[in-house]
Amino acid sequence: MTLLSVKNLRVTFDTEAGKVEAVRGVSFSLGRERLGIVGESGSGKTMTGRSVLRLIRPPGRIEAEEMRFDGIDLMAASERQMRALRGQRIAMVMQDPKYSLNPVMKIGAQLTEGLRLRDGMSAKAARLKAIEALEAVQIRGPERVMEAYPHELSGGMGQRVMIAMMLIPNPDLLIADEPTSALDVTVQAEVLSILDGLVRDRGMGLIFISHDLRLVGRFCDRVLVMYKGRVVEELEAKNLMNATHPYTQGLLNCLPRIGGNRSPLPGLDRAAEWAE
Amino acid sequence: MATMTEWLRDPSPSSRLQARLGQSYLAWLRMRRNPLAMVGLFIILLLLAMAAFAPWLATHDPLTQNLGQRLLPPGTPGHWLGTDDFGRDIWSRIVYGSRITLYIVTLVAVTAPLLGLMIGTVAGYFGGWVDQVLMRITDIFLAFPRLILALALVAVLGPGIENAVLAIALTAWPPYARVARAETLTVRTSDYIAAVRLQGAGSGRIIWGHVMPMCLPSVIIRVTLDMAGVILIAAGLGFLGLGVQPPTPEWGLMISSGRKFLFEQWWVATMPGLAIFIVSLGFNLLGDGLRDVLDPRSSGK
Amino acid sequence: MSMIEIENLSVHYPAKGQLVRAVEGVSLRVGEKDSFGLVGESGSGKSTILRAICGLAPVSAGTIRIGGEPVPTPRGRAFSRRVQMVFQDPYASLHPRHTLDRTLSEPLAIHGIGGSDARVVRALEDVGLPAAFRFRYPHQLSGGQRQRVAIARALMLEPEILLLDEPTSALDASVQAETLNLLNRLRAERGLTFLMVSHDLAVIDHMCDRVLVMQHGRAVEELTREALAGAQMKTDYARTLFEASADRMLGS
Repeated sequence: MTLLSVKNLRVTFDTEAGKVEAVRGVSFSLGRERLGIVGESGSGKTMTGRSVLRLIRPPGRIEAEEMRFDGIDLMAASERQMRALRGQRIAMVMQDPKYSLNPVMKIGAQLTEGLRLRDGMSAKAARLKAIEALEAVQIRGPERVMEAYPHELSGGMGQRVMIAMMLIPNPDLLIADEPTSALDVTVQAEVLSILDGLVRDRGMGLIFISHDLRLVGRFCDRVLVMYKGRVVEELEAKNLMNATHPYTQGLLNCLPRIGGNRSPLPGLDRAAEWAE
Repeated sequence: MATMTEWLRDPSPSSRLQARLGQSYLAWLRMRRNPLAMVGLFIILLLLAMAAFAPWLATHDPLTQNLGQRLLPPGTPGHWLGTDDFGRDIWSRIVYGSRITLYIVTLVAVTAPLLGLMIGTVAGYFGGWVDQVLMRITDIFLAFPRLILALALVAVLGPGIENAVLAIALTAWPPYARVARAETLTVRTSDYIAAVRLQGAGSGRIIWGHVMPMCLPSVIIRVTLDMAGVILIAAGLGFLGLGVQPPTPEWGLMISSGRKFLFEQWWVATMPGLAIFIVSLGFNLLGDGLRDVLDPRSSGK
Repeated sequence: MSMIEIENLSVHYPAKGQLVRAVEGVSLRVGEKDSFGLVGESGSGKSTILRAICGLAPVSAGTIRIGGEPVPTPRGRAFSRRVQMVFQDPYASLHPRHTLDRTLSEPLAIHGIGGSDARVVRALEDVGLPAAFRFRYPHQLSGGQRQRVAIARALMLEPEILLLDEPTSALDASVQAETLNLLNRLRAERGLTFLMVSHDLAVIDHMCDRVLVMQHGRAVEELTREALAGAQMKTDYARTLFEASADRMLGS
C-alpha cells in the first residue's frame, strides 16, 4: 500500500562557501493519503519535494538510501524514465501560477498540448478533456478560460488552471508546493477545498508543502515538521495541538489570533539544542 | 598575509573602507577563477607598464631618423622588430606609442561613459518630455556610423590628438546612455528609491547616489568591451591622417605609413598592427570577465 | 485631534490605455498615537492609500490632512520628518549596493542632521541588531534582519506617523512574531501613530484598535477591535473575510 518511500534523503549543494546541506537525512513513507510537510524558509521542505522528482539542478546533489515510488527505484531510474514519470504519474503544483504558465500561449493550447502530443489525441477530444478538467476545478465558463492568456486570469483562477493541468493525466501522486500562498485568503479556502475533493475522489497520494502549520493541520492526515533540513517531528494531524517538540509548539503559538490578547507574541528559541 | 585575508573576509566589517575592500576582494576572487579574464588583465597591466617605463624599455629615440638604416627587417641586431622607412626603430616607436594609446583610451573612458550615464539616468529617471528630448538626441548620434561621425567632427575641429579624443568621446556616449536609461527604468520604480524619495531627497541626490551605482556595472562592462573599438577608431583616424600628426609614434599612423611597403617590407605595418590587436584582445577579455563579476544578475549566485 | 484625516480620497491613474480606479471615495481618521488597520485582498486599494499619502500615487479627488493641515505637493522635507513608511518586501526596499551605515545615515545627510555615527549605532540597537552589522550589505542579512533595518531607517528622522505596508507578509511566522513585537514596543516607547496595511486579519487585530475593510478600491466597513473579535460585522464581505481568516486559526 506504500506509494512512496524515502529513506535517509540528503540534498547537498557544493558552493564557493563550502558544502551546504539543504536536506539532512529525511525519511518518510506515503500511502494514498495526504501528507503535509511544514517548515519555515530554508527548512528544506521544497528541496524534499523536488528531490522526489529528481528536479534538483547542479551544483545540488541528491543522495538517499532508498527512494521508491510504486516499485520503481527513483535513484536508479534513467533520466528518460524520470521524464515518463514526471507529470504522468507524479505531478507538481508550484506556488505562483504566474511563473508556471507560459505567458504567450492560450490556456486551452497549454492544457491540450500534452494530450495531443503525448497521448496522440485528436484536437477535438483533447479540447473536451481539457474543458472537463477545468469544470472539475469549478471554473465557470471553461470555454472562455480556454481562450484566455495567463495574464488575463486572476491568481486564484491561474492556480485552478494549474491544478487542472496537473490532474489531466490522472497522476498517482501530487506534490503541491505552497499552492495557495500567493492567493487571497477567501480564494485560498476555495482552491484548497477543490484540491481536497479531487484528491479524495481519485484516491491520489498528496504531499502538501507549506509554511502554515495550522493550514496543513486542517487539511492533511499526517504532518512532517522540518527545521534546517531535518524532520523534527512527525505526527497525526489531529494530534497537532498536542505537539511535543518545542519547534512545532513555537510555530503554533507565534501566530497572532483574532481576539487574542495583546501581549508580545512568543518567539522561537533558536539557541536550543535541537536547533543546531 | 593570512590576517589580511581574514580582515577582508570579515562578515562584520568595522569601517566603510573595510566593507568596500572586502566586497572588492570577493569580486577579485570570482574574477581570479576566470583564466581568460586574467589573461586580459595581464595584457592591460603590461600595456600600463610599457607606457610607464617607456624610456627604459625603448632601445632608441622614437623620433630620431637614420636614413642609412631604413627598412631593416626584424631580427637585425639592435632593431629586433626592424626599422621603418625613416630608419626609426619600430620597437621603440611601439613602446612610446603605448603612451598615446593609453592617453586616448583613458580620456575617452572617463568622458564618454560619464556623459552617457548622466544623460541616460536623467532621461530614465524623469521620463516624459525630458526622456523624449534626450533620447531623440541620442538616436541622432546613433544614426551615423561612428567612424564617419568622428571623421566629420575632426574635419570641423581640425586634426590633432585632443580633437581626436573629443571626436571619439562625442561619438561613443550614446550606447552608454541607452544602457543607463534601461537600467534606470527598472531601478526608479523600486522600493528603495521610493524610500529615499520619502526621506525628502532631491532628484540630484537620488540620481547620483542611488540610481547611478546600479547602472555603473553594466556601463563599466560596456566600456571595457568598447575600448578595443576606441583604439581602432583612434588608429583609423591616425591612419587617415586626421588624428595624431606625424612624426608622433601613434600605432594607427605607423600602420598608415607602412602601407606603402606592405608587400616588400611587411613588418613596418604588421608590428603596430599586432600591438593594436593584442591590446584590443586584452580589453575584450577583461570586459568579458568583468561582466561575470559585476553583473548584478550573475552575482546573486 | 486627528493625526491623519482622509476624506473622499480617490486615486485614478491610466495604465495600458485604461483608467484604473485604484481607490474610490475612501475616508478615514486616525487619532494621535492610535493604530489603525487597513485590510483587504489584493487589488482592494489598501496599499495605494499609503502611497497616496506619501505622494507616490496621484490624488485624483479628496483631501489628505496630516495633523490638521492639508499635505503639500510635492510633499517636501517637513512632511518626511513627520511621516515615514515601511515597505512590504525587505529584499526590494534596501539599496543593494549601500551598506546599512549608508542606508541609515542617508536621511540624516538629507536633512543636515549631525552626529550620524552615534545615531546609526543607536538606531541599530533600537531595532535589536548588533552594532557590528553596521557596515554589512543587505545581501548579508536575512529577511527579518532586513525588515528591522527598514524599520530603523523609517525611524531615523523621528517621525510621528509610521505607514506600514504589509511589513511582515514576506517573513516566516516566527520572524513575523518578532517583527510585530518590535513594532509594538517602538510604538509604545515613542508614541507613534500607525497606519498599517495587511491582508491578514489576525495581524491587523493584534496590532490595531480600529480596522477598515476594503474591497475593489472602496471602503466596506469600519470595525473596532471588539466588534472584530465578537464577529459583529454588518457587511457580507467583511464576514467572508473574517470567516476565511478565523477558519484558518481554529486548527483541526
